[in-house]
Amino acid sequence: MNCPPLLMRLGIYGQRRRLSLWLPLFLLWPLAAAVAIVLAPLVLLAALILWPIVWGKLMLLSGPLLFRCLCALRGLELNLNLGKRLLLISFK
Amino acid sequence: MSDNQKRILDLLTEKKISVDEAQRLLSLTEPEKDTEAKTPYETAEPKRKPRYFRVQVQPEAGSGKESVNVRIPMALIHAGMKLTYLIPGHASDDVNEALREKGINFDVRNFKEEDFEELVAALTDLEVDVKGGKEKVHIYVE
Repeated sequence: MNCPPLLMRLGIYGQRRRLSLWLPLFLLWPLAAAVAIVLAPLVLLAALILWPIVWGKLMLLSGPLLFRCLCALRGLELNLNLGKRLLLISFK
Repeated sequence: MSDNQKRILDLLTEKKISVDEAQRLLSLTEPEKDTEAKTPYETAEPKRKPRYFRVQVQPEAGSGKESVNVRIPMALIHAGMKLTYLIPGHASDDVNEALREKGINFDVRNFKEEDFEELVAALTDLEVDVKGGKEKVHIYVE
């Protein structure tokens, strides 16, 4: 599995204004990990309570699956030319 | 160089045959040379696993329409396929119903990851080019 994307590039290029941002996603991951660790017991408890109905299993599965999606974002590139504006989103 | 060709050249150096005869004999050995050549399967490079799925929509020059250039990592598509486990059963029914209304008789629950692998494998040999109206759509993997 890849590691999560470290940078996100957001670019909006208009006729007058140009905006190009490099967002340091790597700063978010430690915070996200801390939140996940804090919330893990609560999620586990909620999953156990909801186990008789299908939601418990889904709740447990959703964490790893979403993390996998997050890791797979690396390399995603969207380039939209909206006539007068150019929008660029990419994950590095 | 094959053994036969060497033997002909040896005979020529020993002056047992003339240059013309050597030339004629060498020309006769040429088909053998062709059979020694590698087949296209042997010479072809091994296929690389595709890493990205690309979709490009290019408008005709001067039409002023929007253009789209998307590069989606295959890993993201695989991860997205796994997310289908989270779709509740009734939601799949709704999707199937919507597809049926559009004339597509397809059950999304039957679409497995193996099917997707097959689809990707087929796409490595295929590039889809659609040119209609004022846009050109190009779909391929790289």
